[in-house]
Amino acid sequence: NSPAPLPERAIYGFALFLGSWFGFILYLIWAFIPETWLFALGLTYWPQKYWAVALPAYLLVAIGIGYILLFGINMMSTAPLNSTDTITDNYAKKQQQKKFQEEAIPALRDIPISEVNRMFFLPEK
Amino acid sequence: MEERPYRSASGAPIALRRRQHSASCRELAVRCPRLQLRSLSAVTSAVWLAAYGLFVLSENSMVLSAAVFITLIGLIIYLHFVKIDQESLLVIGSLGIQVTSSYASGKESTTFIEMSQVKDVVINEAIHMQKVIYYVCILLQDPGDPQGVSEVVPLFQALLWGKRKCG
Repeated sequence: NSPAPLPERAIYGFALFLGSWFGFILYLIWAFIPETWLFALGLTYWPQKYWAVALPAYLLVAIGIGYILLFGINMMSTAPLNSTDTITDNYAKKQQQKKFQEEAIPALRDIPISEVNRMFFLPEK
Repeated sequence: MEERPYRSASGAPIALRRRQHSASCRELAVRCPRLQLRSLSAVTSAVWLAAYGLFVLSENSMVLSAAVFITLIGLIIYLHFVKIDQESLLVIGSLGIQVTSSYASGKESTTFIEMSQVKDVVINEAIHMQKVIYYVCILLQDPGDPQGVSEVVPLFQALLWGKRKCG
């Protein structure tokens, strides 16, 4: 899964490049060429030109709202100050105690908040 | 009994009073500064000037009366529901913990937590808006699980919400 350049990726990239240019030219043709000329060519069943302006406007407004929405979703997902999610979670509750071995670094574990507080704030006299 | 001045996280000068009533009974009270005259004048002037501006534009005198009412009722609601005067914690050794909040309008709201429900009192850190804040809270025991915590009760709420409730 490395990001190195590969022949297949070069082909995908070129196909996307051509496709996006084609789409852009098509959009410009649809937006600018008068309807009568398009009818003369036989292309009658294309969407209304109103959408050539409406869709970019919708897109820009959606991007603007997206910033605010993301901020709001973040605020909603943050645990409130009175919830137990600020102290523990399912993983910490179900963790198993590993046996203490001499001369070895103690195993990694979630330390309960009471123990942390005792160590930080209650000095051993 | 001693009372010491401190500064809250938002910069307001607060006072912490500690009293030892008896061997197993202690009281801690945090007192917030009173409503400042300058902020009250600033808000009232802003609202009334805005209302006067609207009156000049719309020629409707109801705007002025509405502004006066809004200011009065807003002030009463703020003093009664938001602005905290003092928060105190009464710890009675074998009985429990009582938390009292007194508001600027004189209202007092009290909560009592039995000692058998209290698992521990800790300083917890949590994310609030864009900051990490440290606050004292009581951990309540989960009746089914001796290691578990059923609820977290933050203390001294006035200090958490900064300038709005305290200062």
